[in-house]
Amino acid sequence: MHENGYKFELEEMDLYYGDFKVLEDVNLEIKKCCITSIIGPSGCGKSSALRCLNRMNDLVDGARIEGSVVLDGEDIYDRNYSVVGLRKRVGMVFQKPNPFPKTIYDNVAFGPRLYGIRDRETLDGIVEESLKSAALFEEVKDKLRTSALALSGGQQQRLCIARVLAVQPEVILLDEPCSALDPIATQRIEDLLSDLKTRYTIVIVTHNMQQAARLSDYTAFFMIEEQGDPGKIVEYGDTNTIFTKPTDERTERYITGRFG
Amino acid sequence: MSTDLKTGVEIARPSVEVVGDLCEFKDSRIEGIIQQSIARNEKRAHFYDRVATVTVWTLSIIGLGILAFIIFVILYRGIATALTPGFIFGKPQALKEGGGIWPMIVSSFYLALLTIAIVLPLGVGAAVYLTEFSREGRITRLVRFGADSLSTVPSVVFGIFGMVLFVIYFGLGYSLLAGAFTLALLNMPTVMRTTEEAIKAVPHSYREACLSLGASRWETAKKIVLPSAMPGITTGVVLTVGRIVGESAAVLYTVGLFVRKVPVSPLQPAAPMAANIWHMYTEGALVSDWMRVANGEAAFLLLVVLVLNLGARLIARIYQKRLGMVS
Ligand SMILES: Nc1ncnc2c1ncn2[C@@H]1O[C@H](COP(=O)(O)OP(=O)(O)OP(=O)(O)O)[C@@H](O)[C@H]1O
Ligand SMILES: [Mg+2]
Repeated sequence: MHENGYKFELEEMDLYYGDFKVLEDVNLEIKKCCITSIIGPSGCGKSSALRCLNRMNDLVDGARIEGSVVLDGEDIYDRNYSVVGLRKRVGMVFQKPNPFPKTIYDNVAFGPRLYGIRDRETLDGIVEESLKSAALFEEVKDKLRTSALALSGGQQQRLCIARVLAVQPEVILLDEPCSALDPIATQRIEDLLSDLKTRYTIVIVTHNMQQAARLSDYTAFFMIEEQGDPGKIVEYGDTNTIFTKPTDERTERYITGRFG
Repeated sequence: MSTDLKTGVEIARPSVEVVGDLCEFKDSRIEGIIQQSIARNEKRAHFYDRVATVTVWTLSIIGLGILAFIIFVILYRGIATALTPGFIFGKPQALKEGGGIWPMIVSSFYLALLTIAIVLPLGVGAAVYLTEFSREGRITRLVRFGADSLSTVPSVVFGIFGMVLFVIYFGLGYSLLAGAFTLALLNMPTVMRTTEEAIKAVPHSYREACLSLGASRWETAKKIVLPSAMPGITTGVVLTVGRIVGESAAVLYTVGLFVRKVPVSPLQPAAPMAANIWHMYTEGALVSDWMRVANGEAAFLLLVVLVLNLGARLIARIYQKRLGMVS
């Protein structure tokens, strides 16, 4: 019914935390089955923008949205829209790996169990599939019943990705998923995301320009003009264009590392 | 890029000279002053460090000494009696010598069990509501203030309140149930507060992860927050059991002082150990060996409380290990 190739459409979205306007006039169309990256200097509201997409900002006291955020033709900030349902469709991976203090198996099975899947075999299958998709299965297959907290940072982050994959979302949001990882672990996660994009719509916040350039199909550059101003989108478009011939001079300066 | 680098170097060069000047300046004067001041400070810090160490050590040794002395006296006077099976499992005697304390032991644990059954859902429920569901505001502040005030009220006041309300007004009579309600009131603030602390210690990132998977707030509280807070809650409960078992004042007026048979129904009167000890020491008893019984019972009670406290620590430790927090 709603077929224009866009998963998310943000229109003139403003975000407030109390009286503080964090984001202003955000217009963004996020394409299906593509990787969209969000870049910009620290504090410009990248994480906040990402958290608007699964309404995690609802947890912040005084958070308020103006404008519209549309997922598959429906405004997710509509009063009757189910937040729980939204988050089942839009999964999130956080900056710091945050596995539950449970076993590896229970971490991955958490979502499916939440949705009422009790059958042993089904769960086993989901856990194995998800861990395989997250390129973690080989490393942990012999210790599924041990604590997830004993894994390395990179493994924990892949476990968090597996945990999200286990609930088969349509969109995966990632907030600087590699910032705590070494280059090898980072590489693995990038490979993984490239594989996943045939099936999922992926939005990733990153501080790493190379990562954005390598990985994403579209790039949005956020910035704040001056301290205390809200963050805005300076430029949004095809990643190639943004990185080779940006139209805005500020984008060019940021990408070449000359400020921010 | 290379021009950038070049200009950078050009700017940097004069500043190196300035730094050089500063260094010489620092050598001749400031450094001497700083060195002196560091030496002086170090001496002073060292002195205070010494004084603090000695003071803290002395005070702890005095404190521990008193504690050890009390434990020693109680055990010395009663342990021989307390550890004989005939005494532990024996029937109390009102008229002749050689009585045991089995009904009192049962009374204590029965009372503790009933109390926990009442106080746990209430305390944990209140704590979960306060931390996970309510917005911080006047009502939550009021509840916390009330709980904190309540926990400073002496237990004998709770005893009399419980007697008036549960024993007389609600017509429960002297009974385990009346005592359990009273003790639930008495321990409610601590259970609530320890649970709250345990819940607050659960990292926010767990909640975020859980909610982001599409769990409701209630599911998050049930499946992530409470299990993660379990070690803290369990420790709190075991310590509370210790407090209940050791409580006499609130029990005197609500449960009873002496029984001969093991209580079966919660509506029966009973005689928890602490109250029974108090009873024998104040009113004496008709039996001539009441001292022996009271001392033995005191030693046994002390052992129970010690075991409970150690148990609480052990439980916390095991939980943490299982979660992989301690290697
Ligand atoms: N929970 C919150 N309550 C109030 N203000 C917040 C909250 N979270 C973020 N902010 C503010 O919103 C602005 C944007 O923060 P955000 O975390 O979105 O930036 P960011 O672009 O992700 O930065 P970074 O690159 O450092 O992660 C900042 O000024 C920050 O102080
Ligand atoms: Mg951020």
